[in-house]
Amino acid sequence: MEIDREDGRTPNQLRPLACSRNILHRPHGSASWSQGDTKVLAAVYGPKPGTRKNENPEKACFEVIWKPNSGQIGKAEKEFEMILKKTIQSICVLTVNPNTTTSVIIQVVHDDGSVSFFIMLDNHVTMSCHPLAIRISSDLRDGLLPCAINAACAALVDAGIPMKHLAVAICCCLADSGYVVLDPNKLEEKKMTAFAYLVFPNTTLSVLPEVEGEPVEHGIITSVTHGVMSVDDYFLCVENGRAATASLSAFFRKNFQQSQGASSKAG
Amino acid sequence: MTNQTIKLGSGLRQDSDAISAMRAGKFSYSKPNKYWVESSHKRYIPRTEDHVLGIVVDYKAGNFWVDIKGPQIALLPGLAFEGATRRSIPKFEACTLLYLRVVKTNIGMNPELSGTDASGKASVFGPLKDGFMFETSTGLSRMLLSSPTCPVLEALGKKLSFEIATGLNGRVWVNAAAPRSVIIVANAIMNSETLSATQQRIMVEKLLAKISD
Repeated sequence: MEIDREDGRTPNQLRPLACSRNILHRPHGSASWSQGDTKVLAAVYGPKPGTRKNENPEKACFEVIWKPNSGQIGKAEKEFEMILKKTIQSICVLTVNPNTTTSVIIQVVHDDGSVSFFIMLDNHVTMSCHPLAIRISSDLRDGLLPCAINAACAALVDAGIPMKHLAVAICCCLADSGYVVLDPNKLEEKKMTAFAYLVFPNTTLSVLPEVEGEPVEHGIITSVTHGVMSVDDYFLCVENGRAATASLSAFFRKNFQQSQGASSKAG
Repeated sequence: MTNQTIKLGSGLRQDSDAISAMRAGKFSYSKPNKYWVESSHKRYIPRTEDHVLGIVVDYKAGNFWVDIKGPQIALLPGLAFEGATRRSIPKFEACTLLYLRVVKTNIGMNPELSGTDASGKASVFGPLKDGFMFETSTGLSRMLLSSPTCPVLEALGKKLSFEIATGLNGRVWVNAAAPRSVIIVANAIMNSETLSATQQRIMVEKLLAKISD
C-alpha cells in the first residue's frame, strides 16, 4: 500500500540536503543546513569564561537562543531552545572546559510556507459570533527542529567544541492509514495524525562503545512527539528513522571530509 | 596493537577502553607513540610551551589578566618578566599586546603565562609596540610557524622588510617602516590560508607586482 507523496518521493526518501560551514565571519563556528525549502542558520560562540547562575560550575554550560524568521519570541521558541539545549548537552563532552559558557544561536531563515491558524468560536455564545480565541498553531513548523539540530551540530563541529559523537535528527510521521513517512514538508505534515522528531547518535564505525551492555548504535538522544500514536507505531517510526539516519550520517561525514581536504592543501 | 603506552594529543580522549575523537580534523601520528587530531579553529586551546599573543584586560593584586582567545582568561604574574621585582613591576595598561609563553595549563584553572623563557631571560617576549595585529585561525598560525619557512613569508621577505610575531592562538602582529608594507603583508597572510605552496608564491608575486606599478 503505497502512499502518494506530493513531491513524488518514496515514504523513506529525504528531501535534498545542503550544508555549508564557516559561513559567518564573527562567530567562532557557524553552519547553515537546509532540507528541501527549510533553511536554518546556526552560530556558535565560545567557550567563554563563566557560567550562568544556577549552573554547575564543574561542567561546561550551553545556552541556546532561537530566533524565528518572523513574529515575536514566544513559548514555542522557548520549548525549542530547551530541547536543543538538552540535546547538545548529551552530545558534548562537558568535563573538558568546566566553568565556561558556549552560546548557540539558531536563526530560522526559511520555513516553507505560512503559519496556519485556527479560529475557534465559542459554541455557547450565539448572540455574537465573534471569534473568542485565535489559536496560532505553532506545532506545524515543517520539520524545523530536526533541521535546527543538524545545523547546530555542524556549527559545533566547526567551532571545535569537544563532542562525543554527532547528533542526526529526523522527522517521522504517521499517516491515517498507519503508514510511516519520513521527512515531511509543510503540507504533508498537516495531513498526518501524529509525528515524532527523533535524534540519533552518529558514532564512528571502527569501535562501537557499549552503553549498559548495548551498542550505542541502538541509542536515541531525543524524541519529541505530537499527536496520538500507538506504541507499536512509535517503535515503527523509530526503526524507520534510525535506518534513514545512516544516509544523513554519510552526508555529514562527506561534507566534513570535503572541507578538511580543501584546507589541507596548504599544509 | 601490543601493550604500549600511547600519548594522546589534542582532539582525542580516552573513555575507559575506547579512544575517541572529540573534534573533526586530520588524524596524525608521530613516532614512536604520539597521536593527535589536527584541526583549525577560531578559538585556541592553551598548551604549555606555546608562544601566544595576549591582550591585557586587567591588573589585580600583582597579576595581569590576559585574553588569549581560550576558554578561560589567562593569568600573567607581574613578576614574570626579566628584572622585575616587587617594586618595579612593568605597567601595562588594558589593551596592551604582549608576546608571551604559556607556562601552566590545568583543566578548570586559568592558564598561566610568562614574559620570560625557561631560563628567566626576556628573549623575544614582552610588549609589542606599533605595528598591526590581526586575527587568524589556529591552523594558519601553525603554518606560519612551520619550518622550513612558510612560502608566503619567504616570498614576502624577498621584496619587503618587516617584523612579524605569530601567536599560536590565532593572532599575528606585523610591523614595518611603511604602513603600506604592513597592509600588504597582512593581506597576503590572510589570503594564504587555503593555498598550496606554489599558489602562495604566485599570489604574493601578483600582489607585489600590482603594488609596485
